Amino acid sequence: MKKIINAPETYVEDMLKGIYAAHGDQVKYAGGDLRCYCRADKKPGKVAIITGGGTGHLPLFLGYVGDGLIDGCGVGGVFQSPSPEQIYNIAKEVEAGAGVLYLYGNYTGDIMTFDMATDLCDMDDIECRSIVGADDVNSHANPDTRRGVAGIYFMFKAAGAKADQGGDLDAVLAAAQLAKDNTRTVGFALTPCIIPEVGHPNFELKENEMAMGMGIHGEPGVWNGPLKTSREIAEESLDTLLKDMPVAPDGEVALLINGLGATSVEELYILSNDVTELLKSRGIGIYRTIVGEYATSMEMAGASISVCRLNEELKGYLDYPVNTPFICQK
Amino acid sequence: MEKILFEQVPELFEAVGALFVEKKEELCEMDAKLGDGDLGLTMSKGYAALPDLMRAEAEGAAGDIGKMLMKAGMKMSSLVPSTMGFLMSTGVMEGGKALKGRCELDGAALAAYLKGFAAGIRKRGKCEAGQRTIYDAILPASQAAEAAAADPAVSLETVIRAALEAAQKGVEATRDMVPVFGKAAVHAEKSKGVADQGAVAGYYKILGLSNYILNS
Repeated sequence: MKKIINAPETYVEDMLKGIYAAHGDQVKYAGGDLRCYCRADKKPGKVAIITGGGTGHLPLFLGYVGDGLIDGCGVGGVFQSPSPEQIYNIAKEVEAGAGVLYLYGNYTGDIMTFDMATDLCDMDDIECRSIVGADDVNSHANPDTRRGVAGIYFMFKAAGAKADQGGDLDAVLAAAQLAKDNTRTVGFALTPCIIPEVGHPNFELKENEMAMGMGIHGEPGVWNGPLKTSREIAEESLDTLLKDMPVAPDGEVALLINGLGATSVEELYILSNDVTELLKSRGIGIYRTIVGEYATSMEMAGASISVCRLNEELKGYLDYPVNTPFICQK
Repeated sequence: MEKILFEQVPELFEAVGALFVEKKEELCEMDAKLGDGDLGLTMSKGYAALPDLMRAEAEGAAGDIGKMLMKAGMKMSSLVPSTMGFLMSTGVMEGGKALKGRCELDGAALAAYLKGFAAGIRKRGKCEAGQRTIYDAILPASQAAEAAAADPAVSLETVIRAALEAAQKGVEATRDMVPVFGKAAVHAEKSKGVADQGAVAGYYKILGLSNYILNS
């Protein structure tokens, strides 16, 4: 394991201290707990949106906390859930009189955390609703069982814009649901990552191999085999995506080409070019293309392709400006 | 014993904690075959800490056993933030809810606690009977306890004996169940004929309670 750390045990806390030191004007933590990450200011009457999940995916999850996006994030250990009490403490801090939306990935531990936090908030009469991202097509045939991966970007974007525009809790939830219903992702890995406290890779891939459909914690995918070209990967991924969520030939989509951590931005643009050409050949318009790191798996190499099928409402949410320490859009 | 007083409740759960510390390796080994391998750690860490978490809440709870359990259960979830940890802490919290306002536990109250505990597991785990989980030990235990408590004068001993016997039968029944959750569901064929480790943990929870009730 080659990592710039002090000790595996202090990985999360040392990282958080660094973030607060660099961005103290935009974010703070609640209740003396570094893992209760909140935006520094508060807009009275706005629906508060809270996410949470394991460390190891930056800018997911805490990087989405800021203007036009979300308000708080429970930070778990590497690939571990935050605790219900942490989410509850964040809710008490960021709640601004209009209720709380929990928006996070579809993982058992996280679901339990947020459900328990909802019970705790009930005792204080803080109204909470929940929605999970479950966009990873290859993780399961049943859409309710799928894992949440990079496509949650579009849910943050939609819910965040709606909340900032003054939408009530039902409206913010509906915006997130709209984005969820129209977003699908396919991902693939080329090399594994190492959880600091484990110290060795979480799976093995041969030098010339890739894993199609692998999850962002190294969950097994649909096949492991010889590395394909960018064009071939784009073709297979788009086939999977568009079979699961058809887009009309004159339809428009937003495209998110996301790097998993160790893949160069150059490669991401090569992939983006292939996906773009293939979409065009199918007659599908691209309203916006986003390329970069939005949901990583530490130093895993690989990428994911997310497609968000758009209508006018979703286009409005995508155009809405955001500003966080990690993500900025004017 | 006729009843368990407010200040004795942490001792009741100390017996559960002691049993899980004793069974830690056994549960971890069972879990390594069909799960994440940390079941024994979660159970021993969570239940060993629970009595002190209760004592810390005792003053604020002012004699209300339900309140003490609810608060301590919440703190427990922070200590063991894993699937099984959340199931246990929700069980303790929901069991506590069923005891709200009570300052002592008799047979009927114990049955009410077990019913709340089972309901908490079902709610948090979104599970049903027959899916090869801890619920398959806890549900029959709570039902047997409830049936025993149909007699309002029922003793603590009678209730816990009924629960323990039913939990043990529940564990045996999981041998033929097809797993629905977790890694076991992926390797369903491996679990055939083997008792579910979660159900065994559920049985140990009841056994821990009975160790206190029957031996003190």
